[in-house]
Amino acid sequence: MKNYITLKGVFVVMILSLLIFTGCAEKKSIVTGDTAQKQETVTAPAAGAAEQKDLAKSQESADAQAAAKEQSVDLEKMAKAASPVSDINFDFDSFSIRPDARDILKVNANYFMKHRVSSIVIEGHCDERGTAEYNMALGERRARETKQYLINLGIKESLIKTVSFGEERPLDPASDEEAWAKNRRAHFVVNE
Amino acid sequence: MIKKFFLLSLVVLFFCSNNAAAKVYVDIDSPAFKLIPVAICDFNNQSIDATKKGDAGIQVAEGVKKDLSLTGIFNLLNKKSFLEDKDSVSAVTAEKIRFSDWAAIGADYLLRGQVIQNGSEIIAASYFFDVTRGELIFNKKYRAPAGEIKDIARAMASDIMMALINDEGDFKTEIAFVSKNRLKSDIYSVSYDGSELRKLTGHQSILMTPRWSPDGTFLAFTSFKRGRPEIYLRNLKNGEERRIAAFEGLNLCGNFSPDGKKLLLTLSKDGNEEIYVLEIDSLKLRRLTSNYSIDVSPSWSPDGKKIVFVSNRSGSPQIYIMDADGNSAKRITYEGNYNTSPSWSPRGDRIVYEGLKNNKYQIFSIDEEGNNPLQLTSDASDNESPSWSPSGRQIVYVSQKHSKSKIFIMNSNGTNPRLLYEQNNKMVMTVWSPRFK
Repeated sequence: MKNYITLKGVFVVMILSLLIFTGCAEKKSIVTGDTAQKQETVTAPAAGAAEQKDLAKSQESADAQAAAKEQSVDLEKMAKAASPVSDINFDFDSFSIRPDARDILKVNANYFMKHRVSSIVIEGHCDERGTAEYNMALGERRARETKQYLINLGIKESLIKTVSFGEERPLDPASDEEAWAKNRRAHFVVNE
Repeated sequence: MIKKFFLLSLVVLFFCSNNAAAKVYVDIDSPAFKLIPVAICDFNNQSIDATKKGDAGIQVAEGVKKDLSLTGIFNLLNKKSFLEDKDSVSAVTAEKIRFSDWAAIGADYLLRGQVIQNGSEIIAASYFFDVTRGELIFNKKYRAPAGEIKDIARAMASDIMMALINDEGDFKTEIAFVSKNRLKSDIYSVSYDGSELRKLTGHQSILMTPRWSPDGTFLAFTSFKRGRPEIYLRNLKNGEERRIAAFEGLNLCGNFSPDGKKLLLTLSKDGNEEIYVLEIDSLKLRRLTSNYSIDVSPSWSPDGKKIVFVSNRSGSPQIYIMDADGNSAKRITYEGNYNTSPSWSPRGDRIVYEGLKNNKYQIFSIDEEGNNPLQLTSDASDNESPSWSPSGRQIVYVSQKHSKSKIFIMNSNGTNPRLLYEQNNKMVMTVWSPRFK
């Protein structure tokens, strides 16, 4: 009887540690999936297609709730999506795809095709220099140029959405060349 | 006593309205302009229980002084230097004032007056004199609920501006800005004297580009509340808010047309960042630019006939002007390789913008033809987001240094910068409101 209790105890401990372990593993996969994304991401809820025509009718509070729900679902999905997909970087005040970025995009595109991903949101980001408003446009252009490059590599256009965060979500908050170079990027949020 | 005082006001008011027609205004735009020296006396408190409320007269005078000091065009003389003798302290007629005493201390103008607290109401009378000519310029009466002496002071300051430079000033205005707390931001405003902070939105998201409607009732802005940039219109009176642009891709808010019926936007829905105009009531959209480059930050001229905007069609962001229908775009900035954030003066004569010089953002202005560029700031901070006051005589901007944000107001020629407001959060995108009624 005593033995039985001890055995039970060990069993419980084992299950607990297993749970903790899985918990950790899942956390880790968030980090890989979202390379070095140190800060909380206000991720695009796989931004809907043009909803302009519904606007006049739309109810604001309902919208906000829906958006919040959508967002939390997205984070869960992201957590599962461990992948070799990496960000690409840009030169200052430029949206052209650099030679080093082309190689990364080929790897990314291969992954997208092999895993038959269901959607890709490309986030365009800028460094803190420059005007926030202009940077919002520049980030959008970076995302769009990246999208076009992926389309040319064979990714279906309908899978890809773009969203610009301008200079609002730096990877590295420091104010030096190294941080700025990291922050000028296109980031991929993938749903498999 | 009160009756006598009212009668006097009316008589003098009549007298001064005849006088005002021949007025020659002070040219504050002249390069030779010097601050206008004004002496402001404590108002004579005539309340029945004046001993108890003896400071109302001082409050009015100090209020007017504070308001006038905000304009950046007055030199308010220290009352310790006043020479007047006891007999003339309460005199409000030109005959009884010894103008030589005022000229001797360098005053060009003199304000004095009376104030009476009558139950729940404050009544004040102003007498504004031209010291050099020894004449009354105006006499006016003001009423306000007790405790609102600052409204009386603002109205007087406005009348003095009107009399001297034919402009009512910017006293009843606010400056909106985006305040960032870590990753969440919202739009706030602060009054012209930096005192009253008001929260205008409650999105706790990425917020950008606040724009006031011409009557000050609405605020349009860009918000990521739903995860991507969309444009909202908020009624500041009742707090009602609706989304007015949520096209695919980028939705970025530009400013209102002078009639308040249309809004300029930057959208990327047709392939790249272009400028559009949206009719607010019908949500009808018209595209204005058609260029492979980035076109952004559109802003109407005060007459609504032209639009100033930023484009990188030359390879770097520069300021352009086009007709309101999108035709005849013309580049106006050629110095430096990063010029953005244009805003057209309400007086129509100049465009203010920020540009990169020696690795710092500084504020510049330039005329519509692209001539006479003028650098307005040159300190070691990054000075950004310039916006004109409704009078067009002042410019607000936000100054960033060592991750500390401060909002400044300067004269339109770059002189007299004064700190309006600072807080620990990062502040960006300062925008001056219209005059509130």
